[in-house]
Amino acid sequence: MKYYLLPFKFTRIGDHEVFVNEVGDMLHAPIGTAEQIVNRTIEDPELYKSLVANFFISEIRIPALLDVYAERLAEKKRFLDDYTALHIFVLTLRCNQNCIYCQASSRDEHCAASSMSRENMRLAVQHMFKSRSQYLTMEFQGGEPSLEHDLFLYGIELAEEINQTEHRHLTYVLCTNSINLTDEVMATCKQYNVLISTSLDGPSWLHNQNRGKQDSYEKVVKGITKAREILGADRVSALMTASELSLNYPIEIVDEYHKLGFTSIFLRALNPYGKATDNADWEAYTNRFIEFYKQAFEHIIELNKQGHVMIEEYAAIILRKLLTPWCTGFVDLQSPAGIVNSVLIYNYDGYMYASDESRMLAEENDFTFQIGKLSESYENLVYSPKVKEWSKVWNNEAIAGCSDCALQAYCGADPVRNHSTQGDLYGFRPTSLFCKKNKAIIEYIISCVIDRYDELMPIFRNWIR
Amino acid sequence: MKLSIDRQIYSDACISKVVYWLSAQYAIERTLDGTIETLSISRNDGHPFDETELRSQCLRLLNDYKLRQTIDDETRDIRTILYAKAFADDENLTVE
Ligand code: SF4
Repeated sequence: MKYYLLPFKFTRIGDHEVFVNEVGDMLHAPIGTAEQIVNRTIEDPELYKSLVANFFISEIRIPALLDVYAERLAEKKRFLDDYTALHIFVLTLRCNQNCIYCQASSRDEHCAASSMSRENMRLAVQHMFKSRSQYLTMEFQGGEPSLEHDLFLYGIELAEEINQTEHRHLTYVLCTNSINLTDEVMATCKQYNVLISTSLDGPSWLHNQNRGKQDSYEKVVKGITKAREILGADRVSALMTASELSLNYPIEIVDEYHKLGFTSIFLRALNPYGKATDNADWEAYTNRFIEFYKQAFEHIIELNKQGHVMIEEYAAIILRKLLTPWCTGFVDLQSPAGIVNSVLIYNYDGYMYASDESRMLAEENDFTFQIGKLSESYENLVYSPKVKEWSKVWNNEAIAGCSDCALQAYCGADPVRNHSTQGDLYGFRPTSLFCKKNKAIIEYIISCVIDRYDELMPIFRNWIR
Repeated sequence: MKLSIDRQIYSDACISKVVYWLSAQYAIERTLDGTIETLSISRNDGHPFDETELRSQCLRLLNDYKLRQTIDDETRDIRTILYAKAFADDENLTVE
């Protein structure tokens, strides 16, 4: 049998060998097939045809459709051509909640010294427009950004003014706990079509316990209801973060989202930043989170089978990478990494940071990912020696462990997490909990596609539409 | 536990990759005598372990990395061409 190999990676999941090519297309076959492919002893003619059709092997040295394949590869990395699209403006660290697991080191709502100045907002908005991206998302974070309504409005008005000549597609997102959605804040959201991204951890007793408050849930739900009435239900989304306590209640959390009329949920693990670092044993937490994820995921599948729309967003991102030719634009699972390439942070302190987590580290006096002062030029900031140094470790195609990994096309590189949890930017995959969690969940989703194809694909197709 | 590996069959790179993944749990000393490399393996935490199981895990990993090495070696040029076509600015890039 004469053919040429094309680049691909393989791994074993359950009883299968799983093959993934350069654009993330996946095939599976019985264990032992990789050896057959390499040794040119493929026995199954159907498999042979699939391998040729899907760019795993070629009957001629340079496949006739190489240009098409290259175009597909470029499409998967389209986010690089799009430049930085997500711009996070941390208006303040002041907060009216100060949750137990806060990852952003929030301060008391009356603390005056922790909000962005108007001058820094002006510089930040100007920097945002230096990105060549046609699509700019201006995301307002905190602390609680709604406590700084004037600054929030000022930032949007500046962006609108500059955009009269720039003509970019602008999206505004307010990341809020929904407790302070005053008429003033809602009027601004309505006027500028601002999306509301709020956080809700689950049923009342769980949410309140996570927040260390008696009535947080009631206030959040009231805020969600108000925002939906004014902006429309599709303009309001919620995120959950799984505290250690939450891990015992996957079913209850999903049911709460369903009860409140949400059609999607992002099952998000805690990150080791801010107050969350007090969590004693991250390895045990990660193991429990993986089990939590699977139980919640199966419950979501059951809801879908009963005819309810409920999407698990992390799975949907992986499925898009696996089943569609498009790039997902999700900055946490990207190579080259999301930092700088896809996201920039303008912090309340007047500095630019590489990612949301980077500014959280700065609150612990770790300024590794502080890029520079907002008063510096955009070019000096994003092409600084620091950023160039990070670029050596932000491709999972080129770092130990990841470079051979078959899940590489679905996963990402995260030098900030490597630094914060392992003490160096390069990271060590065998003990990386980022790797462990991603690997476990991605393999689980792949096994769902392989082993439960007829049962789950109709649901998955709805999720990735 | 000791494991002897013939470097004429498994390259230094293959063995290094196996050692890399095992090093989370095991301390591994490598010694080379002619073409035979010996891995001396013990648990980092000093606990006993199933040697038969670890031996077969090592051999499985070695074989997998050897296959991956072959794929990488045979596809290096086409991969370079593919990436050049996908990302080089020159739209007229052609391959003879
Ligand atoms: S982090 Fe782990 S799962 Fe992700 S690509 Fe790297 S080795 Fe694979």
